[in-house]
Amino acid sequence: MFRLLWQELQFRRNGIIGWGIGVSIYTALYVGLYPSFDDQLALFDLADMAFYQAIGITEMTSFAGYVSSTFVNLAPILLSIYAIISGSGTLAGEEDEGKLELMVTLPIPRWQIVTAKALATAVALFLILVIVGIAAVGTLSAIASQVETPVTAVDMFLSALYMWPLVMVVAMISLLMGAYLPNRRTAALAATVIFVGNYFGNSLANMYNALDAIKPLLIFTYYDNAPAVLTEGQAIADIAVLVGISLVLILLAVWAFQRRNITVGAWPWQRAKVV
Amino acid sequence: MTENVIETKGLTVYYGRQRGILNVDLTVQKGEVYGFLGPNGAGKTTTQRALLDVIRPVSGQAWLFGLDCQKEGVTARQRVGYLPGELSLYENMKAYQFFDTVEAMRGKNGDKSYREAICQRLNLDTGRKIREYSRGNKQKVGVVVAFMNKPDLLILDEPTSGLDPLVQQTVLELVREAKADGRTVFFSSHILSEVQEVCDRVGIIRDGQLVATERVETLIKQQFKRLRLSFGALPPADAFALDGVTETARDEQSVTLEIRENLNGVLRTAVTYHVLDIDTIPVTLEEVFLAYYGGK
Repeated sequence: MFRLLWQELQFRRNGIIGWGIGVSIYTALYVGLYPSFDDQLALFDLADMAFYQAIGITEMTSFAGYVSSTFVNLAPILLSIYAIISGSGTLAGEEDEGKLELMVTLPIPRWQIVTAKALATAVALFLILVIVGIAAVGTLSAIASQVETPVTAVDMFLSALYMWPLVMVVAMISLLMGAYLPNRRTAALAATVIFVGNYFGNSLANMYNALDAIKPLLIFTYYDNAPAVLTEGQAIADIAVLVGISLVLILLAVWAFQRRNITVGAWPWQRAKVV
Repeated sequence: MTENVIETKGLTVYYGRQRGILNVDLTVQKGEVYGFLGPNGAGKTTTQRALLDVIRPVSGQAWLFGLDCQKEGVTARQRVGYLPGELSLYENMKAYQFFDTVEAMRGKNGDKSYREAICQRLNLDTGRKIREYSRGNKQKVGVVVAFMNKPDLLILDEPTSGLDPLVQQTVLELVREAKADGRTVFFSSHILSEVQEVCDRVGIIRDGQLVATERVETLIKQQFKRLRLSFGALPPADAFALDGVTETARDEQSVTLEIRENLNGVLRTAVTYHVLDIDTIPVTLEEVFLAYYGGK
């Protein structure tokens, strides 16, 4: 199992470096530019701007508000693209490419294959966020003399790591879709629809009280992007819910993959009943 | 007592409503090279995938080394080397890295000197990235992966596909060496000459059903004999119009016949026309195979 996990991490090495650097550049650009237009942002009242609220940007008049709106709010969206690509590529993608056949014929239980791939994805996402966190700390240090804020370097680093449970859920949704649906394209599409639905569903639910009932069903409900989260951190209960959802998704992916006929790529309802 | 390395009973696989294989009953004994013949789509790959638990049967059961392919598949597959028909590799790896990766995933450190010896015999440069390889070289990588751990059972799906004739011979030598070591080979192919060359027994699969299993030489003998009869004066055209006998060629001095039954009748008739010579012309497995499919 450990060897398999190690191999899976090796396969993800380029993705970790590439996405780590890419999201770090995004972070450095957004956070680093704050001193250039903080005066203008101070006048930027978003309270009545429904569009901004719909995409989760709630306040930009302070450094914490700006960072939460750009970095805390949008970096997980960027990383979710990686999560969907990586998650759907893990089983469905490898099956499409024909690589999975040789792997499942090795003396490895299928549950270990799924678990190792899920763990490798989890570690890859964590390492990307460590890189991003370091970039965020570096950027804050670079502009510290120009910014007056209670947000510390540790807060910046932890705010990156707090994204992990959320992007992990997105990756595991994609992994489950890859274990269940016939090919990568469908799995990625299904995961994207679920992700986008959750994101905008949550934003709308935050704007309209009538949608309160659906909030517990949306993953973004368990990820806070209010400015205070930078200094106070995400709620432990929310983290626990997201980690719990990820674990359930991994179990479902194991269940789906155990039953899957590899190399066949049929829709679930087209599959023959197996003894 | 012979040990069945592969056994299936009533093995049936469907892809939705589409037929994969139907009620396949087969046994492959220890130390045997079993050739699995059939055209594309007959069910060769499906059978091999069901044995390796890549796909699951809708009914029937399969065992490797007496172990249930599904319930005890992991244990059974520790002793199996597999070469898929549609080989797909990690293109960014160098070949030796790929071999190390497979060994790591197997949880084994194989005999590297044996692996290197195979690579040398196949003339494979393992220091290059797989994406730089030709199709034939990629196939060689698959051959090495299948053989490198000296598994007790080799399941090879069209192993010589894409290889040049010299390398094909090397692969067939590897198969013979595996047999000489007492290992078992389950070998699917539609190249009949190579099956004839290395296999002890052959199974012919047709439309998902195993239609014949026989020793190679017996299958050839059983099916038909081909005789060329030479005469001083040729007998009339309908002289050999007997049940089970087909005249396939005629020249100025001889008549060639394919005989499924009624050999006595042929000989009696030949004697009446003063036969001068009788030659037996070898029947290839390919011809037997075509006879099965062509309904000759």
